[in-house]
Amino acid sequence: MAAPLGLHLEFGGGAELLFDGVKNHHVTLPDQSNPWDMKQLLAWIRGNMLKERPELFMQGDTVRPGILVLINDADWELMGELDYQLQDKDNVVFISTLHGG
Amino acid sequence: MCQVEEDYNGLECNQEKIPVSGLNRKCMKCKEGTAVLIIRVSDAFCRSCFKEYFIHKFRAMLGKNRVIFPQEKVLLAVSGGAASCTMLSQVQEGLSRDAPKKLRFMPGIVYIDDGGACGRSEDERQTSISQLKNIFTQTGFPYFIVPLEKVFSLPTSVLVPGTSDPDPSNPCYKQAVDKYLKEKQKLREEEAVCAVAQLNLEDSAYLPEHKLALQRLFSSLKTLSAKQEMLQTLRSLKQVEVEEMVGFHFWHNVSVPWHLYWYRQHLILHVARENSYSKVMMGESCSRLAVKLLSNIALGRGAALASDTGFSDPRFGDVVIVRPMRDYSSKEITFYNRMFHVPSVFIPGLDTKSHDKASIQRLTESFVTNLQADFPSTVSTIYRTSEKLHTVRPPQSQSTEPEPASKCLLCLCALDTTADKASAFHATLISEQLSQLRLQEGSVDLVAGSSDQCCVEDQTCGTSGCCSSKRTPVQQDLKTLLCYSCRLTVKDMAAVNTLPPYILTEAEKRQRRSQMKVEISEYLLEEDQD
Amino acid sequence: MKLWTSRSLLLRFVIMPVQCSNCEQKRAVLKRPKTGHSLCKDCFFWAFEEEIHQTITSAGLFNRGETVAIGASGGKDSTVLAHVMKLLNERYDYGLKLLLLSVDEGITGYRDDSLETVKRNQQQYELPLKIVSYEELYGWTMDAIVKQVGLKNNCTFCGVFRRQALDRGAMMLNVDKICTGHNADDVAETVLMNVLRGDIARLRRCTAISTSSEGDGAIPRCKPLKYAYEKEIVLYAYFKKLDYFSTECIYSPNAYRGHARAFLKDLESVRPSAIIDVIHSGETLSVKEGVKMPVQGTCSRCGYISSQALCKSCVLLEGLNRGLPKLGIGKHHRLHGKILAQEPLTEQEERKLKAVDF
Repeated sequence: MAAPLGLHLEFGGGAELLFDGVKNHHVTLPDQSNPWDMKQLLAWIRGNMLKERPELFMQGDTVRPGILVLINDADWELMGELDYQLQDKDNVVFISTLHGG
Repeated sequence: MCQVEEDYNGLECNQEKIPVSGLNRKCMKCKEGTAVLIIRVSDAFCRSCFKEYFIHKFRAMLGKNRVIFPQEKVLLAVSGGAASCTMLSQVQEGLSRDAPKKLRFMPGIVYIDDGGACGRSEDERQTSISQLKNIFTQTGFPYFIVPLEKVFSLPTSVLVPGTSDPDPSNPCYKQAVDKYLKEKQKLREEEAVCAVAQLNLEDSAYLPEHKLALQRLFSSLKTLSAKQEMLQTLRSLKQVEVEEMVGFHFWHNVSVPWHLYWYRQHLILHVARENSYSKVMMGESCSRLAVKLLSNIALGRGAALASDTGFSDPRFGDVVIVRPMRDYSSKEITFYNRMFHVPSVFIPGLDTKSHDKASIQRLTESFVTNLQADFPSTVSTIYRTSEKLHTVRPPQSQSTEPEPASKCLLCLCALDTTADKASAFHATLISEQLSQLRLQEGSVDLVAGSSDQCCVEDQTCGTSGCCSSKRTPVQQDLKTLLCYSCRLTVKDMAAVNTLPPYILTEAEKRQRRSQMKVEISEYLLEEDQD
Repeated sequence: MKLWTSRSLLLRFVIMPVQCSNCEQKRAVLKRPKTGHSLCKDCFFWAFEEEIHQTITSAGLFNRGETVAIGASGGKDSTVLAHVMKLLNERYDYGLKLLLLSVDEGITGYRDDSLETVKRNQQQYELPLKIVSYEELYGWTMDAIVKQVGLKNNCTFCGVFRRQALDRGAMMLNVDKICTGHNADDVAETVLMNVLRGDIARLRRCTAISTSSEGDGAIPRCKPLKYAYEKEIVLYAYFKKLDYFSTECIYSPNAYRGHARAFLKDLESVRPSAIIDVIHSGETLSVKEGVKMPVQGTCSRCGYISSQALCKSCVLLEGLNRGLPKLGIGKHHRLHGKILAQEPLTEQEERKLKAVDF
């Protein structure tokens, strides 16, 4: 049984527009039997935070290509991407590099 | 039909994504630091090696190309976005360095506020501007903030290329460097910096009628009428199959981004000329340029690809555009800005949150980004194509001083519409002729009739001579002065006479001149080019 | 007054059938994908045919008295090409001797069926027909090749073999020129494809309407439908009730090209002229001097044009016959000497070429 996770999420480069224009969010993920990974976090964001046009943020069960993800200020490609297991107080950043973002 | 044919060369096999393995990877460069990001296909870099690599690349790009002379005035076009703000930070970094690698040019900044075309409120525009001013002021460089509304008071001269060498005493890079080194003793550097920092020009005031004119300009593109027409055609068809084939989206506002792009370019050029800047730096990254190259191909800009995407772009003659950020991917830029706290301002534009099919540019961006996710060498492959291209010069422009009439009125590139009869351009003209024979016969009346609408509804026509002088059919006239691609842009507009006066006036001038040339042609000797 | 005008306009929009924008008499049945004009059937036929005539004459594709082979697959493009070529040859008295040339790749359930269509076309158009098969030329059918190489690189074999097969068939028939059904969409797609692959040499060549006729021994080829939209070809075939075969090849084409095709279709839906605009771009861009271009020579085994000692087709064939299908995939130029001398490869070399990943 994992304890609730407190995360700091940040959206930038225009991605914040899909979240009411708010860049910084402190969220608490509910208890669940398995540890939270990035894939589950993205599904949770889609269900609980995204205000509009989910296709501009997500594609399938990952982020849309052109949106960069940093976990604790490092490239998520180095951290296992969707398989990364989130820890309490992790800092996750989403930055859009797209013009039409 | 099967398109595999002989042109298949199996390159695809090499392009698939290489999985990046392992957590806690080490930096590939120093082999010590913990990697924080992956660039190119799978190169892992630590923070400090990445910084060094990033900074080195900027100077290497300028060093390799040797087009910016010491003491030259260089205008940095900053949009507020990540790439142009990094460019600004790299220039600051380069100027603050110790010799000998120090950059030695004199920078200024220009920002074009196009909020008026993107439907932003006055307050929103002012907020962005004050954020930008903060960034600009901290650099100590002179800056210019220009609202897009100013296109309605541009002079026609921005549409004429200048002579390419403004200063004959600077014939080549090496001599310029030597000269600089000699003069260096005399001219103390602090003085130079002080002299530069004087001017902070903010000319953000514009006339209210220009604001309206701008709104009209951007709402004049075909939309509703086209939709109605389409609906009615679809109703007349029985077969679902045919409906599908004919296509649902017949017209879109596909030309909006281009329009805006050229007005912005013209304003930047004007600011550069007015303040004797001879170079303009644009912050286009390789990710952006790959999208631009591909979308420009789709827009029919093949002949201009080299100028549109190359390191240096000489189309304006006296003011040369350079693109020093073209070796950086948008990922590198985003990471650099985040890690090293480079401030940027997100300013929503026309494209923001738009649908994939809102424009050719948007469609291409999403295509390239998606392909890049599966084939990580996509962007760099497209980008390398741009390095192998150059602009074809049509035979008539080989004379020493190019006649402005041989350049496109809007984009100032060489006209690509003189191609021979066996060409896509002529095939299109023929298709149009063959589909509207009757209309063709009566076309003079029709076109002239519609162009008179300019002043009907008591609209303000700005300061131009819109209502004066007998006007010839604008769209017809304009077409002959534009390159293939810009013809398409103008074709998408419902009312050509909402175009800013500098364009219409210059068009009339060129038209009169070519008419005159026809009239006197029998007295001209063949050799006389002008 | 004003209200009345706009209402009547609206009524006209909703109720009135659209008139043909060309003859202004008959009811329009289609909106031309290429120009957006509404045309009646007859005016569309006329415009479509006339455009191809213009393409042929302005590029000087044929000379009076020539024998021209039409590459016929039974598909819509080549069926429309055969139909229009025959029609224009008579209407404008080109003075050409036309015949149909088909390639039988040996794909059960696909080519055997489409060849039936070609045979019917032969009757309908009263043109002589020649069929050359991979089996007779190379000793391998595509079915057999797929059995050995799998579905990953099979299109490479097919594409390379088809090109040569057409040439060899044309030589047997002693024709002066070959014309193929490549349409505007195909050409535009190839432009995009070559940009995506960074293949500058092909990017430069791919928009040419015909291959040059000088030297090299290959029979000149041309694409009279180069400026015809695929959609219009389908509309033409549909309204003319032409007999064509419309199944996709069962050994589906590779994914990467599929991306380029999908992109082009999306571009077309945003701006219908995009297809021709891409071709215009391809025709007007030019390559920097000093960029390396391959030099064309001839294959020292079969005499076919090739930029290497051995042509691609001979290398692929060698690979099939030696049981090393990867020989022709990717670059193994240094092995050409050994193949020519019929020397065996080293064990290490063989191991690399054997492994085929399915």
